[in-house]
Amino acid sequence: MAEMRTDEAAFGVAISGRTSIPSGENSVWADVSPLLEAACEDLQEGELIHGDNFNLFAAMSALEIMDPKMDSGIVCTYYSLEEAIENGAAPVPISVDKTTDIRCTIDIMDHLLACEATWHKGHSLAQTVYSCLYLLRPERTLSHALLHAYCKVIHVTCKAVLSVVSDARTHEEEDLFTMAYGLPLGGGDRDERCLSMLNAVEETISRQLRACKASSSKRRLLEDIEPLQSNPDLEEGYCRALLCRLRFRKHFYHLLMSMKRPQGRGLELARKHIASCILELDGCLKSSEFLRASAHGMCEKNIQDTTASGCQAIGFDASLNCRLSAPTPPRSIKILSWVKAIEYFLKLLRDLDIVCSYSLVPSLEAALHFVIKFQKSQPDLVARSHLQLLLVQDGKLYGQIPIFAVITGAAGLPEVTNDHDIQKNEFVVQLGQLVINLLKILCTNAAWQRRKLGKMLQDWRVTYVQLELAFKNEFGEGSKPSNNELRFKIFQQILMWVEEQTYWIASRFLILGFELELYSVHDYYMVYWYIYAILIKLAEKTHLRIVMNNSTAKKKAKKKRDSFKDAGRDYQISAAVLFLQSQIYLAEGLSMMFAALRNEHIILAPQGPFNTEHEIFIQQFELLQKACLPDHVSYMSFKESTKLVNFSTLAMCDYFKEAQRIAKDVKSSFANDPDKMAELRRVEQVAEHNNIALNVICRVGAIDPSLKVTFEFSHHPFFATAIVKRS
Amino acid sequence: MEQPAEQSPVPIPATDSGEFRPAGSDRVNRTRKLLFRRMLVGIKDGRFFLGSFYCMDKQGNIILQDSMEYRSTRRSSPSPMEQRCLGLILIPSSCRTSCHVDCSVEEQLSLLSLSEK
Repeated sequence: MAEMRTDEAAFGVAISGRTSIPSGENSVWADVSPLLEAACEDLQEGELIHGDNFNLFAAMSALEIMDPKMDSGIVCTYYSLEEAIENGAAPVPISVDKTTDIRCTIDIMDHLLACEATWHKGHSLAQTVYSCLYLLRPERTLSHALLHAYCKVIHVTCKAVLSVVSDARTHEEEDLFTMAYGLPLGGGDRDERCLSMLNAVEETISRQLRACKASSSKRRLLEDIEPLQSNPDLEEGYCRALLCRLRFRKHFYHLLMSMKRPQGRGLELARKHIASCILELDGCLKSSEFLRASAHGMCEKNIQDTTASGCQAIGFDASLNCRLSAPTPPRSIKILSWVKAIEYFLKLLRDLDIVCSYSLVPSLEAALHFVIKFQKSQPDLVARSHLQLLLVQDGKLYGQIPIFAVITGAAGLPEVTNDHDIQKNEFVVQLGQLVINLLKILCTNAAWQRRKLGKMLQDWRVTYVQLELAFKNEFGEGSKPSNNELRFKIFQQILMWVEEQTYWIASRFLILGFELELYSVHDYYMVYWYIYAILIKLAEKTHLRIVMNNSTAKKKAKKKRDSFKDAGRDYQISAAVLFLQSQIYLAEGLSMMFAALRNEHIILAPQGPFNTEHEIFIQQFELLQKACLPDHVSYMSFKESTKLVNFSTLAMCDYFKEAQRIAKDVKSSFANDPDKMAELRRVEQVAEHNNIALNVICRVGAIDPSLKVTFEFSHHPFFATAIVKRS
Repeated sequence: MEQPAEQSPVPIPATDSGEFRPAGSDRVNRTRKLLFRRMLVGIKDGRFFLGSFYCMDKQGNIILQDSMEYRSTRRSSPSPMEQRCLGLILIPSSCRTSCHVDCSVEEQLSLLSLSEK
């Protein structure tokens, strides 16, 4: 850019007087419009004027000006925020009439709530919450205590939520969420002041409410209280409507602050604020009727229904800071309706309540199960971020338990090992990092989670190999040094656990494919076959670990006193393994049933021109194959085990009956675990239904060509139930 | 650009010297000489774009390289301007209201005289 020139005449020639874009040194702006116009006439159709460096591909990527999908700078109503304010787009006070002023203030509050929910759903802050002109110039509202306090609390709330989400970095898919450049967020010591302002306003309004409800005799005593607005008939309704909105904000802010406290110390308090928030939101919903009635015919209709009164809120313009969301192209944003926004917040509160109700059980297994269960309700970004920050703080589980202790606990080692030197081993440190990453990944959305889990499998595998090598280097093949028995034991058991955990991740990876609907019916038989192969390994490793833990425990017990009860326990299969076994039978049964249906042409394989079965196998399981999970499993082994299956052989192997039997038997061991009980019940149901379906197909399948077999997930999220019909 | 990818039928002079004259019209050649010059384009909504002239098609759509966007902060004149970088932009002829190039005073006279022909 050439420096500004003082000689205005030199550059003011061309442009209508009001701009000051300087031309170069000793030069002027010459109008070339007539020349260009003339040149266009002479150009032939399709001919371009361009230089040597012209590249059509680059030219295609040019940003098209005035295209609403590409040009974020289009000037809509106002040229700038200042101009908008000067033109009265966001007046303070909103109206000289106090009743109108209050009514409009409530509309602003409601629209802000709708904007906030829309932001949480993954849109940019600039175009949602900060489309509010009052928020963009906080100093302007100083004279309007009510609006000012509300805007302030929105500022600090947005900042708090933003910091949780960006700290947790769970927002990969919702990449716009954390963009907040150039926006006046709350910060520093002002945060505390916002609460005192909010409390002061709340106090005033609750006194006004008391005053208007008091009988005339008492009213004299309260006469010095100025009413909220000028219409006595509406006083109570407006006071109530404002109070529930203000109190919701207060409790919501307290809730965020309590959840931020380290090591989950604020969870109990947070639950109280959640209960209060829900109560106040209910109050807001109830106020809708009054607000609609009192605002009837008084204002512009709100097409998007973002306010309780149905009026258009004053002081919002998303186009003004649209450019702040650059470098992304502008996106059209539909702000959620007010009712939908309240629904969103209710769900968020319920999800946060689940997070707060977690009792921080000091075991990795418990934490993993909790996250998986939590994810089933499909919580949104903000709730997931809070969970992640609770699980992993300062590199420790719940900010309390060092990650090495978490690992030794999961591997079934006694507590004395927690401070063992071995934790300084570089591969053990690496393993700790993997465990932390695993916890974080499980808190992300399903699609991201699956991708990350798949990639992570190789890291687990590599760490396992490195640990195993370190173990062998230290102790040599087969020999077990007596002087360092504990170190040997730790290595051995951690190794076993790493394998088990890797298979657990692999099974989660496969199962998530059902949730994301990544498999077609034709892929099911290979997916179930793979699930079966993974679960077998998982059960095997779990069994080994449990046996080893038991033998350790037994040795200890023997040292103290003789134990007769333990005799023979090694040979028993534990309930955890039996639980897996019921799923294994089910997966195997389903895979074989699908294979038989294909082999006997009841379900026809698609004859697509693009992908062979082998290619599909690679596409679905590439990440598992790369990590050798399980070893020696390939397309060949899959083909080998399924190509000869038919219904006559299938009838002899009672996979489903076995699954059902084991599920039934093992239930008694999980009487105290409602989640496992529910899963067993589901397994039982699917097994039962599939067994019946299988019998029907075996009997009439070969002779009745009109037989139709379909599958649905009515009983279990990922084990399909077969439905047999005659068409 | 809406224009097809076909190569210009007219050979393009490698330099501004114009030693080998192509068959195109004088006006087209004059315009061609403006390539890579600083061009200032005003559009309907009051913004201006300043960038180096990269390409123009028969319809008068212009592509500018390394462009800056200038916008006034007020509708009423005069007012301070905001600016931001945009890079490669396509300005459709339909929204263009003015177009200027940076040139010396003598050159300006020649350009004006030519456009009056």
